[in-house]
Amino acid sequence: MTDVLLDGCLALCLPLLAWLVLRTESLSQAVVLFVAFGLLSALGWARLDAPDIALVEAAVGTGLTGALLMHTLSWTEETPPDVRARARRRPWALLATAALTLLLGWAVLALPADSPGLGPEVEARREDSGVKHPVTAVLLNFRGYDTLLEIAVLLVAALGARAVNPRSERASSDAAKDPLTGELFRMMTPALLLVAGYLVWVGDHGPGGAFQAGAILAGGGVVAILTSRMGTPRMSSLRVRWALLTGPLLFIGVGVAPLLSGRRLLELPEKLAGTLIFIVEMALTVTIAMVLLMFFPGTRPSRAGRGGER
Amino acid sequence: MTSVAALMVWPVILPLLGAVLALLVGRPGVRLVAGVASVATLMASSMLAWEVAHQGVLHQSIGGWGAPLGIEWRADGLAALMLLTIALVGPLISVHALDHFGDREDREFLPLWLFVWCALNALVLSADAFNLYVTLELTTLAAVALIAVRRDLPGLDAGLRYLLFALPGSLCYLLGIALLYGAHATLDVGTLAQRVQPGPVTWVAAGLVTVGLCLKTPLFPLHVWLPPTYTGAPTPVTALLSALISKGSFYVLLRLWLEVFAPVMDAQVGQLLGVLGAAAVLWGSALALNQTQLKRVVAYSSVAQIGYMFLVFPMATSGARAGAIYLVVSHAAAKASMFVAVGNIHQAVGITALGGVQGLAHRMPFTFLAMALGGISLIGIPPSGGFIAKWLLLNEAIGTRQWWWGLVLLVGSLMAAAYVFRILRGSFLPLPPGVTVRSIPLGNELAPLALALIALVLGLVPWFPLDLLAIGASR
Repeated sequence: MTDVLLDGCLALCLPLLAWLVLRTESLSQAVVLFVAFGLLSALGWARLDAPDIALVEAAVGTGLTGALLMHTLSWTEETPPDVRARARRRPWALLATAALTLLLGWAVLALPADSPGLGPEVEARREDSGVKHPVTAVLLNFRGYDTLLEIAVLLVAALGARAVNPRSERASSDAAKDPLTGELFRMMTPALLLVAGYLVWVGDHGPGGAFQAGAILAGGGVVAILTSRMGTPRMSSLRVRWALLTGPLLFIGVGVAPLLSGRRLLELPEKLAGTLIFIVEMALTVTIAMVLLMFFPGTRPSRAGRGGER
Repeated sequence: MTSVAALMVWPVILPLLGAVLALLVGRPGVRLVAGVASVATLMASSMLAWEVAHQGVLHQSIGGWGAPLGIEWRADGLAALMLLTIALVGPLISVHALDHFGDREDREFLPLWLFVWCALNALVLSADAFNLYVTLELTTLAAVALIAVRRDLPGLDAGLRYLLFALPGSLCYLLGIALLYGAHATLDVGTLAQRVQPGPVTWVAAGLVTVGLCLKTPLFPLHVWLPPTYTGAPTPVTALLSALISKGSFYVLLRLWLEVFAPVMDAQVGQLLGVLGAAAVLWGSALALNQTQLKRVVAYSSVAQIGYMFLVFPMATSGARAGAIYLVVSHAAAKASMFVAVGNIHQAVGITALGGVQGLAHRMPFTFLAMALGGISLIGIPPSGGFIAKWLLLNEAIGTRQWWWGLVLLVGSLMAAAYVFRILRGSFLPLPPGVTVRSIPLGNELAPLALALIALVLGLVPWFPLDLLAIGASR
C-alpha cells in the first residue's frame, strides 16, 4: 500500500516539477526546481530497482549539475531577455511533446510485458567477469569498450569546456578567510575521500564504482573552487594532465595488453580481471573527478568589474 | 586468424592513444605525437582495407564475449572504404590546419582531430547499436570543441548551435535503440536484423533513429543549423564537418536502414526520404546560387550534396547503395578540397564576400585548380568521383523505373554547375585595384589540390572502390 502511495506521489510530482521548471520565468527558481526534480527522479530510479542509476542521477545529474547551474546564475541576468519569444513558441513545443509522448506510449505498450533483457546472459557469465556486481561487470568487462570510449567523451567534454570558461585565476577573496566555510571544508574533506574510496571498492559487489566516486570527489573539489581554496584545474599544468590522463592511459594499456598473448582487445584474463578492473576504476575515479572539476569556471567575476564594462 | 582480426584494433586505438599522449606532452611535442599517430593510423587503416579486399569480411568480438553480451566489430568492404577515406582526407585537412591556426589553437586542434578520427573509425567498424551511439556522441562533442577552438564569438555561437541540434539528434537515436532493446533484448545489429517484426515498436524506433540521424547529417528540412555553423566554424573545422563528420551519421543511417529497417518498413517511407533528399538538392542548390558569401555558397552546396545521398532509400538496390557511398567518398574529398581552398582565399585577401575571389586565379593557381577540380566532382562531370556516383544513381533510377529521381539528379547537376562557375568566373577577372594578396605557404596551396586529385582519381579508377564495396554487401 505504501509502495503504491510512494510511486503514485512520484508519478504525479515528476511531471508537475518538470512543467514548473519550464514554466517559471525566473532562472534561479528554475534551477532550484530542477534540483528538486533531479532528486525525485533519483528516488524514482531507486524505486525501479536501479540503485546505480539513482546514485549517478543524485551525484552528477542533480548535485554537480545543480551546483554548476547555480554557479552559472551568478554570471547571468536574472530574467532572460527572450521570455516573450519563448512564450510564443510554447504551444508548438507542447504539441510536439504531446505527439512524441503518444508515439512513445503506443510503442512502449506494445513492448513484451516482462522482457528480462540481457539479464540472464549477464548472470550466466558474471562468474567469469572478475566482479560480483552485474552493473560493474557490464560496464568494465562485457562492454568495457563502450566505457573506454565514454572516457574519451569525458576528456573531449573537458577540452570543450575550456572554450566557454573564461580564464579564472585563483582568487584570494574574502571567501578564503571565511572561518565557517573553512571549518566545513576541513571536516568534509576526509569524509568525502572515505566515501569515494568506499564507492570504488563496493563497486565490486554492489552499487558503486568510478563514476559515482569521481562525482563525490569532484563535489569536494567544487567546494574548494567556489570558496577560492583552489583554482580550476588547467591543462597547462603537468600535474593536472597526469591526473587527467593516467586513467585513460592505464585503461588503454589494460585493453591492448591481451593482444600480446594472442587474445582480443579488452579480453582480460579471468584470474586477474577483478584486480585489473579495480586498478582501472581507481585511476578513472581521479580522471572523472578532474573532468567534472574542469567544468567549473572558478570564482565569479566581481560585479563591480562587470558594471565597469557597461 | 586472430592475428588478422587484431588488425581491427589499431585504426581505433592508435588515434585514441595519440590523442591522449598529445594532450599529455603538451606544447613541445604535440605535432610530433600527432604526426606519428596519423602515419600509424593511416598504415593500420590501409592494412585492414587490404586484408578485407583479399580475405573478405572480418569480425571480432571485443573482450571475447561475443554478441549479445559483448560488442562486435565487423569490417566489410564499405567499412574498409570509409576507413581509407577518413585516413586520406582527414590528415590532409589537418596539414592545412597547421598553418591556418595560431600556436594555441594548433595545440588544441590536433588532439581533438585525433579523437574525431578515433570516433569515426570506431563508428565505421561497430556492429552494435549502442556502441554506435557512443561513437556518435564522441564525434559530436569533439566536433563542438573543434568548432569553438578559436574561442571567438562566431565560433562559440556556431559550436553551441551545432550542440543544440546534434544532441537532440543523439537522444532521438538513443530512444529508438532503447525501444529496440526492450523488444528484442539485443543490441547487435546483425541479431536485430533477424528479430525485428513490423509493428508499433519497430515503426516508432525506426522513426526516432531516422529523425535523430537526419538531424545530425542533416537532411532537409532539418538543415537549418548547417549554414550558420559551417560559416562560423574555422575553415579547417568546416572542412572536417562537411567531409567526414556529417558522413558518420549518414553511414549509421545507411547501415541500419539497409540491414535492419528496410525489410519491415513500408516502401512509402523510403520514398519520403527520397522526396526530402530531392527537396534538399533543389533547395540547397537554389540557395547556394543566391549567396553573397563565398563560404556560404560552399556550405549550401553541402545541403544539396547530402540530398543526393538520400536517393538511395527509395531505390534500395545494391547499385544505388554503391552510388550513394561513392558520393559520400567523392564528396568527402571534393568538398574538403573546396573548403580548404576557401580558407586559403580568406587568408590571402581577408575578404569573405564572393567577389573576393576576383583576380586570384593567377595569384593562387593551385588553390583555384583545386577549386575547379572539386567543383567538377560536385557537378558530376567526368572524370570525377561525383560523375561515377551520379551515373550509378541515374542507372538505378531508370532500372527501378523511378525516372523522377533521374530528373532531380540532372537538374541538381545543372544548378551545381551554375554556382561553381559563379565562383570560378570571378577568379579569372583582373585583380581589382587596392587589393593586396598575401602569399600562402606552398603546403597550404597543395593540400586542397591533393584532396581534389583524390576526387579526380576516384573518377579514373572506379573499379577498385567498387570491387571493395561489393565485399559483404547484403544484396
